[in-house]
Amino acid sequence: MLRKSSVWLVVLIAVLAMAFIASGCSKKQVVKEEAAGKPVAAAPAPAPAPTPGPAPVPGPAPVPGPAPVPGPAPVPGPAPVPAPAPASKAEEAIDLAGLRLYFAFDDYSLSTKAKENLEKLGAWMNRNPNPKIQIEGHTCDIGTAEYNLALGERRATSGKMYLERLGISPNRLSTISYGEERPMLPNKDEANRSKNRRDEFVKMK
Amino acid sequence: MKKYFDILVWALTLLLLSAGFSWGKVYIDITSPSFRKLPIAIAPFEASLTASGEMKLGERATDILTHDLDLTGFFALIDPKSSGEKIGQTSPGKVPETEDFRRWANLGTEALILGQVTYQDRSLTLEARLYDVVKKELIVGKRYRGEITDLSRMVHRFADEVVLALTGEPGFFQTKIVYVSKSGGGKEIFLMDFDGRNVSQLTRHQSICISPRFSPDGTKIAFTSYKSGNPDLYLKYVGGGEERRIANYPGLNITPSWSPDGQRLALTLSKDGNSEIYTMRLDGSGLARLTNHPAIDVSPSWSPDGRRIAFVSDRGGGPQIYVMNADGQNVQRLTFQGSYNTHPSWSPRGDRIAFDASAGGGYNICTIRPDGADYRVLTDNLGRCESPSWSPDGRHLVFSGNSQGGPHIYMINAEGTQIKRLTFQNGGDTNPYWSPRIQD
Repeated sequence: MLRKSSVWLVVLIAVLAMAFIASGCSKKQVVKEEAAGKPVAAAPAPAPAPTPGPAPVPGPAPVPGPAPVPGPAPVPGPAPVPAPAPASKAEEAIDLAGLRLYFAFDDYSLSTKAKENLEKLGAWMNRNPNPKIQIEGHTCDIGTAEYNLALGERRATSGKMYLERLGISPNRLSTISYGEERPMLPNKDEANRSKNRRDEFVKMK
Repeated sequence: MKKYFDILVWALTLLLLSAGFSWGKVYIDITSPSFRKLPIAIAPFEASLTASGEMKLGERATDILTHDLDLTGFFALIDPKSSGEKIGQTSPGKVPETEDFRRWANLGTEALILGQVTYQDRSLTLEARLYDVVKKELIVGKRYRGEITDLSRMVHRFADEVVLALTGEPGFFQTKIVYVSKSGGGKEIFLMDFDGRNVSQLTRHQSICISPRFSPDGTKIAFTSYKSGNPDLYLKYVGGGEERRIANYPGLNITPSWSPDGQRLALTLSKDGNSEIYTMRLDGSGLARLTNHPAIDVSPSWSPDGRRIAFVSDRGGGPQIYVMNADGQNVQRLTFQGSYNTHPSWSPRGDRIAFDASAGGGYNICTIRPDGADYRVLTDNLGRCESPSWSPDGRHLVFSGNSQGGPHIYMINAEGTQIKRLTFQNGGDTNPYWSPRIQD
């Protein structure tokens, strides 16, 4: 791919950007009254369907004597114990803004960093089976508004398809494109534009 | 736009008849690429007022007419003040004296417009006549009567008569431009006269409205709005204000383009998982899918004969202009210049397709023939220029450009030699679309 180097650049910028954003840059509401855009308060959602005791592990497997650590999931790597949500009535908190995906100009392919973020989100959605997520596709202001709507749609769909491949039900996912209409930052220079070429995740009621 | 401009028009038939056969003559052969601009002079309109005196009706009429004729690029406007002596106006209904014609001819003009505005009993009358200075005879004379607010409309109508009489083709002075402007934090649809006057707001969705497109009969506008949360397609009647949603499939319902007969819309939907071009009737029935490609397909524009559709696709890597038959068959790539070409607009004359392009380091308005030949870049150093739309005579384009802050709406002639800024608000004006000729 010709765009590889620029993809890396964007990843770099994205990492910096997320650090910046996470530090409390609230999303600008360019347009009021957007039903779809209503951010849900971080309040604990209504309790997820009470999981019956031994929920997670699908194949109960012949239980050997010492119950506790059956190392149920073969999941390698980071996610330590999938069971640590014992009292899990409440939904696990998640910083959706920190998981934004960033894209190169006129591109809707997922960077390595974007895939990592989607995997984090997917894992959270697996652990928290109730919330539904809308993926908003956005672009910078270069190019025509109309083409950018289609491009934003592709960016949103890229994120959605990856989550579906991670096993998230399509019923819990939706997409919307805002094209260049809702920039996160003013499109005054390339640094800002690169932050506007993004997918955002919004929890839906 | 509920107002009806009840202008009564009388052609001054007797005068016309006395002018002999000058009707048939074409003074400016605008079909020739190198036509000569016709020298024309507009004598300051006289105003006789019996009511309110400070309205400067004569000056306003003269200014509007001068501006109109200048915009066409067909005329070399001769300033009457360039003559040291005052050239006498002629009372209505009276042909100028031979001596008056001689004075005008000495200024180098070949055509002359005389006019008078009268405001009496709350009724405004505009009378204007176009003369052939060389032959010393009348070419066309008109009288319009209406309300005080109709002045600019009357002048535009007369300007249309002048252009028709001198070129054989009607002008575009009775047209409007619909566009998107930022308002109160959202983007709403606005309407203005072709020259930027008479701005009015059409939507109050307090949301994002985009891509307004006039129907071929000028009565309706199709556009997309996020009013209900999703980018859905709406139809609005310009006169009555009635508005209804005509497409709300999941995903995109965007970029409407009217078929020339006004019966169908081509549009972009993403309901099948990817943006594709469809057509449908105005009530949403008869949906037909035209494209079937995993790439982006968007922004259809119908050819004036209704047989083909230009659109944007990134199936070749980046966005480029393609053309297909109106049934989706026979897809051909049209543009190969530059890596980013979008927003095609098929000229009402059928001979060219305009689009915006990342050409020569910036974003510019370009045109190309429908067979892919004769690529031209019209704009230069105007910042990012986007979203071209043709005048009904196919001789001008409007677009948005951001070189002077903005973005603002600009008008440019098809040769790219004459440019005019139309909007001056700070909010940001985009997505202009030129109406057809609107008759009252």
